Amino acid sequence: MATNNTSNNTSREISTQADQSYWAIVKRQFKKNKLAVWSLRIIILIITVGLLADFLANDKPLYCSYKGNTYFPVIKEYAIDMHLSKWPEELNNVVWKDLKYDAVVFAPIPYAPEKTDDKNNDYKSPMGSQEIVSTRWRHWLGTDQLGRDLLSGLIHGTRIAMLVGVVSMSIASVIGILLGSLAGYYGDEKLKISLARLILNIIGVPLAMFYAFNTRGYILEDALADSFGSFCFSFLVSFFFFLILMLIPNIITIGLKKIPFLDKKVTIPVDILISRMIEVIMSIPTLLLILSICAIVSKPSIMLIMVIIGLTGWTGIAKLIRGELLKVRSLEFIEAAQSLGYSEARILFKHAIPNSLTPVLISIAFGVAGAILAESSLSFLGIGTQADVITWGKLLSSAREYAPAWWLAIFPGFAIFVTVTIFNFVGEGLTDAIDPRLKQ
Amino acid sequence: MFKYVLKRLLYFVPTFIVISLITFMLGQMAPGDPVELKLKGGMGGSANGQSSEKMAGEKAYMELSEKLGKNLPAFYFSITSAAYPDTLYKIPRQNERKNLDRLISMYGNWNNVADYYKNAKLLEQKLFQFSNTSLDEASYEKLKALRDNNSELFINYDKVKISESLKTIQAAAIHTTTIKTDSTHTKTIQPFIFALPEVNNLVASYTKMNTEINTSNNYKPAFHWFGLNNQYHRWLFGDVPWFGKNDNPSKVSKGFFRGDFGNSILDNRPVASILIEAVKLTLLINFFEFFLIYLIAIPLGVSLAVKKGTSYDRIVTTLNFMLYSLPAFWIATMCIIFFTNPYYGEALNLFPDHGIGKTGADFGFWEKAVDRAYHLILPMFCMLLGAFAFISRMMRGSMLNVIRQDYIRTAFAKGLEPRKVFWKHAFRNSLIPIITMFASFLPAMISGAVIIEYIFTIPAMGRISYESVVARNFPVLFTILMFAAILTMLGNLLADILYGFVDPRISLTKKA
Repeated sequence: MATNNTSNNTSREISTQADQSYWAIVKRQFKKNKLAVWSLRIIILIITVGLLADFLANDKPLYCSYKGNTYFPVIKEYAIDMHLSKWPEELNNVVWKDLKYDAVVFAPIPYAPEKTDDKNNDYKSPMGSQEIVSTRWRHWLGTDQLGRDLLSGLIHGTRIAMLVGVVSMSIASVIGILLGSLAGYYGDEKLKISLARLILNIIGVPLAMFYAFNTRGYILEDALADSFGSFCFSFLVSFFFFLILMLIPNIITIGLKKIPFLDKKVTIPVDILISRMIEVIMSIPTLLLILSICAIVSKPSIMLIMVIIGLTGWTGIAKLIRGELLKVRSLEFIEAAQSLGYSEARILFKHAIPNSLTPVLISIAFGVAGAILAESSLSFLGIGTQADVITWGKLLSSAREYAPAWWLAIFPGFAIFVTVTIFNFVGEGLTDAIDPRLKQ
Repeated sequence: MFKYVLKRLLYFVPTFIVISLITFMLGQMAPGDPVELKLKGGMGGSANGQSSEKMAGEKAYMELSEKLGKNLPAFYFSITSAAYPDTLYKIPRQNERKNLDRLISMYGNWNNVADYYKNAKLLEQKLFQFSNTSLDEASYEKLKALRDNNSELFINYDKVKISESLKTIQAAAIHTTTIKTDSTHTKTIQPFIFALPEVNNLVASYTKMNTEINTSNNYKPAFHWFGLNNQYHRWLFGDVPWFGKNDNPSKVSKGFFRGDFGNSILDNRPVASILIEAVKLTLLINFFEFFLIYLIAIPLGVSLAVKKGTSYDRIVTTLNFMLYSLPAFWIATMCIIFFTNPYYGEALNLFPDHGIGKTGADFGFWEKAVDRAYHLILPMFCMLLGAFAFISRMMRGSMLNVIRQDYIRTAFAKGLEPRKVFWKHAFRNSLIPIITMFASFLPAMISGAVIIEYIFTIPAMGRISYESVVARNFPVLFTILMFAAILTMLGNLLADILYGFVDPRISLTKKA
């Protein structure tokens, strides 16, 4: 008992003294790059701004006491959006600014991005005079033609930008990691499946597609006409259905394998297939594809754009992880796992993939920057965004309508620039931190 | 080498097929009936017109539909449920076809659905053959109701709406009215009683369809083979024979491979003639851009690599990196705002804000060239920045890679002057990745400049693609999409081959 304890202690001491794990090395390397570290901090700040946008810029008070009742209108709004609550009579459709409160705390920027300030419409400069009660109500970055506060728009645009980055890169990562690791781990020779399984799967895929997507065709079409969100849901249901159907041929295989002829092993050139696929996807010009799809879909939305960016943006990640796994699969610990008799799936998902994920971070960091840039370009062109969603690109494009409004050109563009730059800096820092290991 | 190129060219085929399929699918999903769109407002669309007009519209529709090949099945084969007939594509109008499709999925019995459709068509014919100008107002209203509700049937699958329409039709068919035969006598007649058999048939077939629902058919897959005579094949290969004379005047399409990309929906001009002007301009812009980038970026990259670690290198590299992240459309917007109008002082009002300057035969070549250059300075500057930063970064990295090599150390060790080492030994070898870079510029030429060309209203490829999106001019849009994809593939191929040529150490035929 006692010896056990001491050995535990020593091992802990060793690990704290010089942590030589891969992650620790990468972290140390990354921290040497001051620019990247600061960029990471700014990213965290921007994400916080995006998350707290409703509390930072809102025309509703954070807290107010009105006619003897206490309210937290910003929080209450969330409940109302979820149909859990309703505005009381006296607060329904009010101009929050003009109410006579007993006590009130407004958000730091007391304007909502889409609400117009009639007294300060027609492009009020941030430098010029504004018709306001006190400095508390100043439009710090000016207003646009309708009197919408620019700073509030920028704060709420942060949320969209971050959402674009997160959603599109999540989709891209899932696809990229899965396909890339399959290609890298199995290569062209390693995946051997029985003839029975191959034949049954070739028959099974079109059938499962038929039942999952074709017979549900009108459900999917109606969902698409309704909203893109519900289409995604229906599509996922179909996809899940597809996966379940694909289980059937694979279960039958177990029985058929008993026949020697059908148990003959066939090699599947996974690497060639997936590499071809990557090449096809890479040769589709993303911007043009998004433009075409937006022209086709009756109600293009920002969600749709995120999904398309994600669906076309996974190739870089897949290539990286493929290269990484080609190396990892011949390392000792994989051999050890194989000799222990672990299943292929266990080795792949528990050992091989987790040990080759780090380079993907590089691709994700650059990918987020690219996605934000792509989305802001599209909303700048006025393609694919709903009228009520305020994005940086849209704010920037409003500058073109009225040249003297320099603030509409400078600030939203600067926001896009800073965000894209810091993500690129982080990507660069990660490359530097991970590269020494890659080169070995 | 030759073997490798051949292999790569073979790889081209599946990639091309996939891309053409994606484009074709997008085209099939595009909203609106292309035939209707071309007919401009759809003469045949209104059911209220005179019967002759209606028939003329119908005829025009059929003719155009045949000319566009829309009367063909979409693809070589189809996998549908057993409830679908393999001849559904023969229903001419897209919206009627879609509606029938929907009805089949609801009732699962094509025969009944077809009966219902046929009866509705028969009624339509009967109603349009009827011409009686001496109707009173109430009867005229009823006739209109009959025709409207009848045509509603072709585009509705909702049960409630259909039965409402049917009820209105039934009521209108037995509508009674009194007319004066002479000054004293009046007569009660039913002006639309002639259509009653058709109406009754229609209602009967609808009830039959509703009672004999057989949705189990929807779960039986069926495979239909259509052969080469389909829309996809026609789009790529055309229907005019490749060799010999074309003796069928209705066959007009030459197909994508013979340079026939269809006609614009807006003005019916051939897509190729629209694009050719834009391509010329795009090539012009890109040629100069390319030239400028390499002229400035490469020396800059080399000088950064040579002075690696100095504060000059650190600052310029960081600036370069920020330049690379600079959204081109932001810079373009700022340029437009600050340099193209007198608001910020006459001194800053330096450039035109849109267009490409003088065109036409009234001006001399040099006059046009100077004016065009003047118009293109700002947009080209905006397009340049990103690529410039990228190339100089690449150049720096590649140069640093080379400098680390042993033979460079040897060159220094044997006492060569640094200038000679860098320019003669290092520079040449570090150019390899840069040369291949230019291959990837091919596709960027089209799509990369969409936003800048949009801002500066330059009628090159990018602007054309933006305009075709806004106008939903799909033939133009999809042709551009196809070409961009083909150019990307060619670019990749070219890069690989160039790589093999400039760097003999890279073996293309042997697997690494």
